Amino acid sequence: MTPTVQIEGSTGRVILSGQFDFSAHREFRQVCESLIANPEVREVLVDFQNVNYLDSSALGMLLLLKEKIGSANKTLALVNCRDAVKQVLEIACFGKIFTIR
Amino acid sequence: MKILVVDDTDAVLLLISRFVEALGHSAVQARNGQEAIDTWRAHRPDLVLMDMMMPVMSGPEAAAIIKAESGAVWVPIVFVTGVGEENRLAEAIEQGADDYINKPVNFRVLEAKLKAFSRTLDLNRQVVEQSTKLADYYDRAEEEKRVARHLIEQMVNAERLSDPGLEYWLSPAESLSGDLIAAARTPGQVLHVLLADGIGHGLTAALNVLPLTQPFYSMTEKGYSISDILAEMNNKIRQVLPVGRFVAVTLLALDEANDCVEIWNGGMPALQILDPSGRLLKSVPSSNLPLGIIPSHSMDFVPVRHYYDQQGLIVACSDGLIEAHVPGADAYGFDRLLGAIAGNLAGNRIDSVKDSLAGYLQGHPHHDDVSLVLMAFGGDTPPPATQDHGDAQPASDFTLPALLAIDECKWRYSLTLGADELRYINTVPFMMTFVNEIRALNHSQSDVFLILTELFVNAVDHGLLRMDSRLKHSAAGMEEYLLERSQRLANLQEGRIEIDLAGLDYGGSELLQIRVKDSGPGFNWAAWSRVEAGEPQQAHGRGILLLRALCSGIQFVGNGSEVLAFYRPHSGSDALH
Repeated sequence: MTPTVQIEGSTGRVILSGQFDFSAHREFRQVCESLIANPEVREVLVDFQNVNYLDSSALGMLLLLKEKIGSANKTLALVNCRDAVKQVLEIACFGKIFTIR
Repeated sequence: MKILVVDDTDAVLLLISRFVEALGHSAVQARNGQEAIDTWRAHRPDLVLMDMMMPVMSGPEAAAIIKAESGAVWVPIVFVTGVGEENRLAEAIEQGADDYINKPVNFRVLEAKLKAFSRTLDLNRQVVEQSTKLADYYDRAEEEKRVARHLIEQMVNAERLSDPGLEYWLSPAESLSGDLIAAARTPGQVLHVLLADGIGHGLTAALNVLPLTQPFYSMTEKGYSISDILAEMNNKIRQVLPVGRFVAVTLLALDEANDCVEIWNGGMPALQILDPSGRLLKSVPSSNLPLGIIPSHSMDFVPVRHYYDQQGLIVACSDGLIEAHVPGADAYGFDRLLGAIAGNLAGNRIDSVKDSLAGYLQGHPHHDDVSLVLMAFGGDTPPPATQDHGDAQPASDFTLPALLAIDECKWRYSLTLGADELRYINTVPFMMTFVNEIRALNHSQSDVFLILTELFVNAVDHGLLRMDSRLKHSAAGMEEYLLERSQRLANLQEGRIEIDLAGLDYGGSELLQIRVKDSGPGFNWAAWSRVEAGEPQQAHGRGILLLRALCSGIQFVGNGSEVLAFYRPHSGSDALH
């Protein structure tokens, strides 16, 4: 899985695809760090449109991202969560600490 | 390089040796195959330059022996061959020789070949070094894993999982499990069962769940409620694990005395509650974040309560079981799981789940740790606590010692709490920390916990909060009662509870005196105890019956706001039978 990035105005969108698990760790971190370092970007969206599976280490990566985005004073939202992704996020009750759209 | 030069012609031997030395190498000499082997054994050269046709032993024969003896260490052997020896040369190379050079030797070519071998030898040495290192790493990793596994097994303590009514299965994806199952009973015989799933699998996942064991066992032992234990586990995980690490947890408390199961689910698959025929009665999905993500004060640790009036079974598992699948197919799922259990309700249900999963995966491995807990409730066996005390000492030979005797106590522990303290101190578990230290009470902790809990709850609920026990008659009433109680406690303006524990000498044997006094207006205890005794089936009547069964004597003082209970501890030998 190689995440792609789209920047529109002050919104940076990380588009993930396929299976989002520990093997995506390095690329996901690099992509996110580039968005956090970009002063133009105020809001980061993680787009799950093309993700069909996500595991608990992916949840861990999202928690780390939330922490980093928070300390950079930016906002974060998880978008286009469908089926399996939605289910995993619901079981973990991530709706309580993440904006999910 | 140290080079072994072998030739039966002195002139050639000398010539090649000199040349080798001129190139900066050192030369050792031999005049036939046998000498070559002996010299090789004595000097262990890096490379052998050898004639083929020699007396005593030929070059190819010696080469085969040297190759065999050098084993894993690579010793290049280069033959120096004359015209007409091509066939034997081919054979020798097939048998392990590395190269050849023609006679008469062209020294320019020999120099180039030696350089090439020197490079290859360097490379070869690196590979050998690295593979030795790799083998070392592997051994060390295996050893660390072995130690870790032992450590984890000790901390998890599988023995404590052997509880009647509890069945479980844990199948790690790797040698160490990131899933954890633990069970223990409180002094009041409430069964606590923990099922936890750390991120990932293997050693790091196993390390993630380890911090849970200590608060689980030690707080259960002291009788803390699962809400308190969860808060402590959450603190612990946040304290010891890095950000991004968390643990999904299900914690159950089966209280057979009150026909109630408390369930808290944070990030685990939904718990399934089955009726006696295996039908799904209720499902308890995760309604909380996993532990370790946000501070305890932002979490809601209030469990879901399930009151039962018939037998049933609780099914709890990790996502490794529900999501197990073969590539391209559906996940195993709840339907198959519950089907396997319902299909073999009276038999070995765990085995039937194992068979069902194995059949579904058709020999494929599961990629995540799989864990499953089945907890039966509402069985015919009464909770062990009341069973143990069928043989309680009869009260007939016991006369209440004068209250004055308390001045002659061996030890004494007094505690007074006001309204504010009552709101946040978990009094009985707190006192149990002390009780657990008293040697005379070593075998009676469970009894003391029950007596203290009954007396204390009675003093708070009825003495201070003026709660009406009749509310507790139905399952819904129990919820209402607990809600009302927590509201009244939150609004309590004034009130005191005094608790006094004292160890007395009663005719040469140990006697524990427990005094509990509340600042409430008291109550008509005589009428109360009569009514309670006549209604043994009522949930709220069990308290006084339990106290009577456990204690040698109970005495209400004055208006009933003060009660004295006398208890004779088990000696060590009593507890053995």
